[in-house]
Amino acid sequence: MSTLEELKEAIIDGKAPAAKQLTERGLAEGIRAAEFFPGAIIPAMDEVGRRMRECEFFIPEVLIAARAARGATDILRPLLAGDPSVRPMGTVVCGTIKGDLHDIGKNIVAMMLESAGFRIVDLGVDVSPERLVDAVRREQADFVALSALLTTTMVNMKSAIEALASAGLREKVRVLVGGAPVTQAWAQSIGADGYGKDAVAAVELARQLVAPA
Amino acid sequence: MDPMPGAKLVEKGMHRIILKPTGVEVSAPSGSPLRDPLFEQGVEFPCGGQGRCRGCRIQVLEGQVQVNAAQRGQLSPDELAHGWRLACQCSVEGDLVIELRQWDAAILADETPFDFEPRPGLGVAVDVGTTTIVAQLLDLQTGSVLAVRTALNSQGRHGADVMSRIEYALSPGGLDELQHLIRRQVGALVRQLLLAARTPGQAVRNVVLVGNTVMHHLFSGIDVEPLSHFPFVPNRAGLEVFNAGELEWDLPSGVPVRFLPCLGGFVGSDILAGLLATRMGESEDLIALIDLGTNGEIVLGNRERILCASTAAGPAFEGARVSMGMRASAGAISQVELEDGRVKCHVLGNIEAKGLCGSGLVDAVAAGLDLGIILPSGRFADARSEWTLAPAVALTQSDVRELQLAKAAIASGLQLLREQWGGADPVRLYLAGAFGNYVNRSRARRIGLINYPPDQIQPAGNTALLGAKLALFGSDGVDGPGKEVGSYHALRRRVEHVSLSADPHFQDVFVQELGFSESAHNYQEEVAL
Repeated sequence: MSTLEELKEAIIDGKAPAAKQLTERGLAEGIRAAEFFPGAIIPAMDEVGRRMRECEFFIPEVLIAARAARGATDILRPLLAGDPSVRPMGTVVCGTIKGDLHDIGKNIVAMMLESAGFRIVDLGVDVSPERLVDAVRREQADFVALSALLTTTMVNMKSAIEALASAGLREKVRVLVGGAPVTQAWAQSIGADGYGKDAVAAVELARQLVAPA
Repeated sequence: MDPMPGAKLVEKGMHRIILKPTGVEVSAPSGSPLRDPLFEQGVEFPCGGQGRCRGCRIQVLEGQVQVNAAQRGQLSPDELAHGWRLACQCSVEGDLVIELRQWDAAILADETPFDFEPRPGLGVAVDVGTTTIVAQLLDLQTGSVLAVRTALNSQGRHGADVMSRIEYALSPGGLDELQHLIRRQVGALVRQLLLAARTPGQAVRNVVLVGNTVMHHLFSGIDVEPLSHFPFVPNRAGLEVFNAGELEWDLPSGVPVRFLPCLGGFVGSDILAGLLATRMGESEDLIALIDLGTNGEIVLGNRERILCASTAAGPAFEGARVSMGMRASAGAISQVELEDGRVKCHVLGNIEAKGLCGSGLVDAVAAGLDLGIILPSGRFADARSEWTLAPAVALTQSDVRELQLAKAAIASGLQLLREQWGGADPVRLYLAGAFGNYVNRSRARRIGLINYPPDQIQPAGNTALLGAKLALFGSDGVDGPGKEVGSYHALRRRVEHVSLSADPHFQDVFVQELGFSESAHNYQEEVAL
């Protein structure tokens, strides 16, 4: 098995120390930092997503796999900056909507997007429209990803999108929404650009939107 | 708390009736309709007791019940020969053991004996649950229960859980409608109690209601908007006092009606009442009270310090969001046992299994773990998608996942409260509510729902109702020396509400509690408990 294949397996199995070691070894073997993503990290997280969808993986397995992937990306990210061949996927500002404290689903989406090569700015939970607008402006975000788990808080997604519009930022970002009570129809009705029914769908959606027309 | 009362003396001219599968025992005068004691236990008579439907079918396991024309019209000769009868058409002529076809008696009343200071007149205690309501009429002189009435909360048509009630209450006219529904329904239950006890309302001195924070708000007409979002802090959560006149109830207009105060967040006076019932505030030992509902409430404390919290367990314990889940009614698998490595299901109502109720789900997963069909991660071992328990009932992979979420919410809640308390383990754990009463304690431990040995876990029944009864004997809401029993004001001031989701360790502990333990503890030895 090649180092990249071993790394892919280590991430799927959630072995963080092994993932770090294999990344170092791959770099020592002369593999370029950018090659780790299509060669190991992205296929590993795609496989994790597939297993999550089929109920084979549950929250703990997904979180430890994502932690292993992060071990690898933490080493690789500083090296990517100097590589002119790398096209950045973009910056995602994410958070759980104002009034809501549910964290885990949002964290899984953030880690999956990060493994897919996006730069993540996680604002945490109970994110007000003001904080969101500030972060989008400061980080020059390409995407906004918002989560809500309560029927009583998902209405605040609408206020968040309106706040982006009044700040003149709505045309600069793509807004993705998700969470248990959120539906495609509702996402359309509040003027979001996309709805992801789970973390896998969110990553697919973000990839489609970033792909050149 | 005091132990359950022993066998009751059956008066002369009275017959004893044992109801299966719960083993609840009631008595009724010779020659009286069987319908009366069953109705008090929450059994419904869909056609109004006219013998025109089969809804109140029972199976007579021991004793004799006569057959009439109406029963011959609804039941086949074969069914009659097997002891099937229509309860509404039967009268009580001797001692009976019966099992109900429609067993919806998961509504739990309370008959625990308690200490009290006798006082004149009658009192009414009401447990206003999100799903069910239980009301009891008490003789305040003797402490005896004169009548019991139960009902499904009539607000249920506007949503099953508290979040959907809040959503409805926030829609135009919603709060007024929900308030009107619950006030009218409790008023009707009070009227039925007086009718059943054949007593006029004049003697009633006092009415006490308990319920979670949302029920408190909806009964009192308080804005629920603060409960719809973080930080979930109610504006007004104290004692609410009404009089029977303003509620338009059939009682003397000056009778005080008190909805007891909430403890904080979603933790309401049903839990405050549970603290009165378990005497946590007087306890030397550290004890826990856990109410296993859609919103799980956990209290940990003793005479020195009491901490409470609520945790969103989701509806798996009530059989919802489980592929073949159902309420604890006829056809539900309520127990799963292993006999020589083979699965044996107990089905409520002794009919073919139709689904799985909360206690059956816990048992099934425990059995799956012991058989190695379910791995400690919760995954089915052989990549199967489901596990067949009975010809028409299977457990799916996502059902196991739903249970993992629910049990992790409770277990991590207790774990975090323990840490905040200083790390000590409770000596006793009381389980309140219907599910807590029926769930097998060894299996609850096997799946990591309650990580304590079964002999430390005590099903405590309807502690909300018992506490409401104790509050009837309190000194009318004024605390004085020596008025500890039923005195909720001082107790409430000592309870600290903890916001679990604001705890930085919450996610780590929750994720850790999602899995199952490898070993079965001393599960085999404890199975008998």
